[in-house]
Amino acid sequence: MILQPANLDAMEVDALQTDRYLDALLAAVERRALDVPADAAVDPTLRRAARRLRDELVRTHPSFRFEERLARRLADAAVRMRLATAAGGEAEAALIPFPTPLLADPTLAAELANPELAALLGLGDAAIESRAEAPVDSHVAVPGRPTATAPADGLAGLAAPLRPVVARPLLVGGALTSAALSLAGAAFVAWRLTRGAPADPMARAVRAARAAREAAAVTTTRMTAVAASATTHPVTARTARNVATAGSRHRRLA
Amino acid sequence: MLGRVRERGTLRSSGRVVPLDQDRALVRAAQADPLQFDPLYRKYLAQVYNLAYHELGDHHEAEDVTERTFMLALGGLPRFQETAPDDAGPEASTFRVWLFRIARNVVANHRRTVRRRPTAPLEAAAGVAASDDVEGGAVARSEASAAWAAVRRLPGDRRRAVVLRFVDDLSTAEIAGILERSEGAVRVLLHRALRSVARELSREDDRAHSDHGQGRNEGAR
Repeated sequence: MILQPANLDAMEVDALQTDRYLDALLAAVERRALDVPADAAVDPTLRRAARRLRDELVRTHPSFRFEERLARRLADAAVRMRLATAAGGEAEAALIPFPTPLLADPTLAAELANPELAALLGLGDAAIESRAEAPVDSHVAVPGRPTATAPADGLAGLAAPLRPVVARPLLVGGALTSAALSLAGAAFVAWRLTRGAPADPMARAVRAARAAREAAAVTTTRMTAVAASATTHPVTARTARNVATAGSRHRRLA
Repeated sequence: MLGRVRERGTLRSSGRVVPLDQDRALVRAAQADPLQFDPLYRKYLAQVYNLAYHELGDHHEAEDVTERTFMLALGGLPRFQETAPDDAGPEASTFRVWLFRIARNVVANHRRTVRRRPTAPLEAAAGVAASDDVEGGAVARSEASAAWAAVRRLPGDRRRAVVLRFVDDLSTAEIAGILERSEGAVRVLLHRALRSVARELSREDDRAHSDHGQGRNEGAR
């Protein structure tokens, strides 16, 4: 006899009893029990149906090939996500909605036309914000901002950061910044080359060390060559000795 | 969403004590490093696949939906927030509910697409199973069961509730989270679904008995 709250109607009481029976029946699978004791109020036909569903509804497992293929695909995607995080894509997502590289995949982005799914993945609000900030006549895509060219197909409801860029695929922020950095770097190198060598003591010491290293390398090479030829031409043996002596003197000086 | 918690480490949903998900640590690891998503994927692959298969009834479509579900889950994982109540203990997790909700939506998307562009596999058109499709053959045999047929005839959420309960072995509380209904509503859904299945099965049994009796009579004659 189970005491039920007074505010439940007959259907809810029946449903509660059935649910308790199902709990016990499904929990008994591990014990390999055929049936479990139940309240007599549970209809025997329901009990029989529940037992048949438990026994006859098959649990299938996808093929091993599929499992491994998907595991590999997920691992690849995870590596891409990790790279994006390292580059700051995800880190900046809190401030500026930036496309998660994985979800920017057009096939997956199509799934996100479903607003419930977009909300589940935490992309709903970002999309609304991005839509509000969208420039009216811009033809370039700015990170976190959708292109002005509204997609005419089913992508209209797509979360903005995930929408494939269909206008000119120029990312102002990234491209210009990297281009500017490259130009600035080239200009700096050119400026350094046109200027004379710096005269501070540290720079002099570095230069001297480098020159000594280069001279030593040249001398060693020459010695090896002379020694090799001395074995075949005895006349040049004296010259080789002279060169070796000069080399060691040079090293001492350096 | 996850029902009432009576004691630490376990979740008591409508009388049945089910162990709480042990996913919190796995989810945190995967959020810190996406490559750590693999254990979660292996753990729930079969369950998500089963849901998709029982919803769509096609092995290849189920694989497609499973793949999309996990790709989306991986993509959305950095934004996933644990919403299990504080008093649910350190092990409580809503990850499984979240994952199944993604799967449910992907199945719905898939259905919409299929409705717009209906296709039929060649094997179905020819009325034969592919010779190398062993799994498909096994599933086709199981489909022949009366219980399966009765479940296939159930309307949307009733069918989903039955599959989640009997095949994926989820609790009523978890099903309520996935279907976005109250626990009471899910209990009623299941009760009504069982009634329909019981009716179908008894009708099927009666038919079988009458066929059997007719055959015996003809044999005696």
